[in-house]
Amino acid sequence: MKKVLIIGGGGGGLILANHLDTNEYDVTVVDKSDLHFYQPWFLYIAFKGSKRKISRPIGSLLKPGVHFVQDEISAINLDERKVYGTRKGIYTYDYLAIATGTTPDPDAIPGLRQIYDEYGDYHTNVWNSEKLWSHISKFKGGTIAIGQSSATCKCPPSLLEGAFLLEERLRSIGLKEKTKIVFFTPFARAYSAEPMNKVVEPFVKERGIEVMPFFDVDTIDVEHKTIASLEGDSLNYDLPIIVPPCKGTKIKIIPETVQDEDRFIKADKKYMKINGYEDAFAIGDCNTLPTSKTGVTAHLEAMAVSEIIQGRYAEFDGRINCPFDTAYGKATFVIADYNNPVVPYPPTKTKHMMKMSMARIYWMTLMGTADPIFEQFFNHTKPEKLNKKFAATE
Amino acid sequence: MENFKIIDSRGSACPGPITDLARAYRNSKVGDLLEIWATDKGVRADTQAWAAKTGNEILEVKEDQEKIVIKIKINKR
Ligand SMILES: Cc1cc2nc3c(=O)[nH]c(=O)nc-3n(C[C@H](O)[C@H](O)[C@H](O)COP(=O)(O)OP(=O)(O)OC[C@H]3O[C@@H](n4cnc5c(N)ncnc54)[C@H](O)[C@@H]3O)c2cc1C
Repeated sequence: MKKVLIIGGGGGGLILANHLDTNEYDVTVVDKSDLHFYQPWFLYIAFKGSKRKISRPIGSLLKPGVHFVQDEISAINLDERKVYGTRKGIYTYDYLAIATGTTPDPDAIPGLRQIYDEYGDYHTNVWNSEKLWSHISKFKGGTIAIGQSSATCKCPPSLLEGAFLLEERLRSIGLKEKTKIVFFTPFARAYSAEPMNKVVEPFVKERGIEVMPFFDVDTIDVEHKTIASLEGDSLNYDLPIIVPPCKGTKIKIIPETVQDEDRFIKADKKYMKINGYEDAFAIGDCNTLPTSKTGVTAHLEAMAVSEIIQGRYAEFDGRINCPFDTAYGKATFVIADYNNPVVPYPPTKTKHMMKMSMARIYWMTLMGTADPIFEQFFNHTKPEKLNKKFAATE
Repeated sequence: MENFKIIDSRGSACPGPITDLARAYRNSKVGDLLEIWATDKGVRADTQAWAAKTGNEILEVKEDQEKIVIKIKINKR
């Protein structure tokens, strides 16, 4: 039996494992953690104080026949097909899939470590979201600087979602008048992709959220509570909400040429094969694909890789489908693919309900039991179809 | 030593080519030449606005059937 080794039991790793035929393949998932987290909910812990339980044991999310090993991988040699664990020794494989997500790097920016440790954020883990919620609950007014501190970030809409949910919260408790929310971003506008920016910009304006575009965080002066940007601007804050830079994996990979300067793994954009290798794939947030780092892309990439490993033709078309909570009970989706630009898709209450129900059906999507629903949804919402309807009316 | 770097953002619609440009800018030095390849039409206006804001220079903008190519010189870091 051919051995498939999957590093990472996040969305990408689990979906791949659950779509391989265990009668034909010996499948092992290795993760340093024994728990899988539903990351989109970090937002609702940080800005609404949600107590929802968002983790499940990885072992319980795998179909029978797939092995799970808890171990942290420290090195991979692609030429020798060897993978080194820190606890359980050496693993070998016929096919390797790396699905290790991103690594937050608060030490990349001077001053950020202190803020990260003290205030947390809404992007990295449950504890950091809880920490941020405790600061938001205690907040009495002043300037809140909120944004991402590097251009690469998971789930692009989630940054502005944070500002929207924050504004909704402050208004609901009567603090809005005493607060200035400044949303800083390395991009040209509040939402990087222009068609979606047109949809959400009116909300940004109407809710009095100030936007600082082309603001790429360079240094933070914690003593004077100022953030300086690479572009030469500065911003003062009373409460800092800063998503730390997102980097690739810490694993040492041989040859090192397969990683870029931020340690993301170079893979081809249709088949997720690591550059130069037929037997090794990089799936989801850990790779360099020119698409958003989201659960949906990790999902679709994993589905394609499962087909490729099993000898059938499949390719990933770059499809993204990020839910975008615009607060006050409405949401939209950011939809595009490699060949079609983002759809200017208007927010509705129904889309908000869909986003909220995802927190429940998410676990089914990992197991593969929700595949038929998703296939239908993706077919009905193809970007070329939606663009005809929504982009044409502009 | 000055570097020449190609940033291949073809296919990227969201967050878009400017993500890769901002990332390359962070890792660049004065004198470096960057060449961004993109299919997203927004790349022209965004790169121009970015260059005006950061004080860097656009040397050339070309477009053929399959991509838009923008050459940038890093003058300020
Ligand atoms: C606030 C927020 C909101 C989001 N909202 C959405 C949304 O609405 N829709 C959407 O589609 N996506 C959303 N995302 C993005 C989504 O959560 C990620 O893109 C997705 O989880 C990526 O899956 P992955 O498998 O690539 O990585 P991950 O799910 O991050 O999994 C990586 C796994 O690898 C393991 N690992 C890492 N290094 C090692 C090692 N050395 N050895 C062993 N194991 C290792 C980790 O423990 C982890 O379990 C959101 C993210 C955030 C933060």
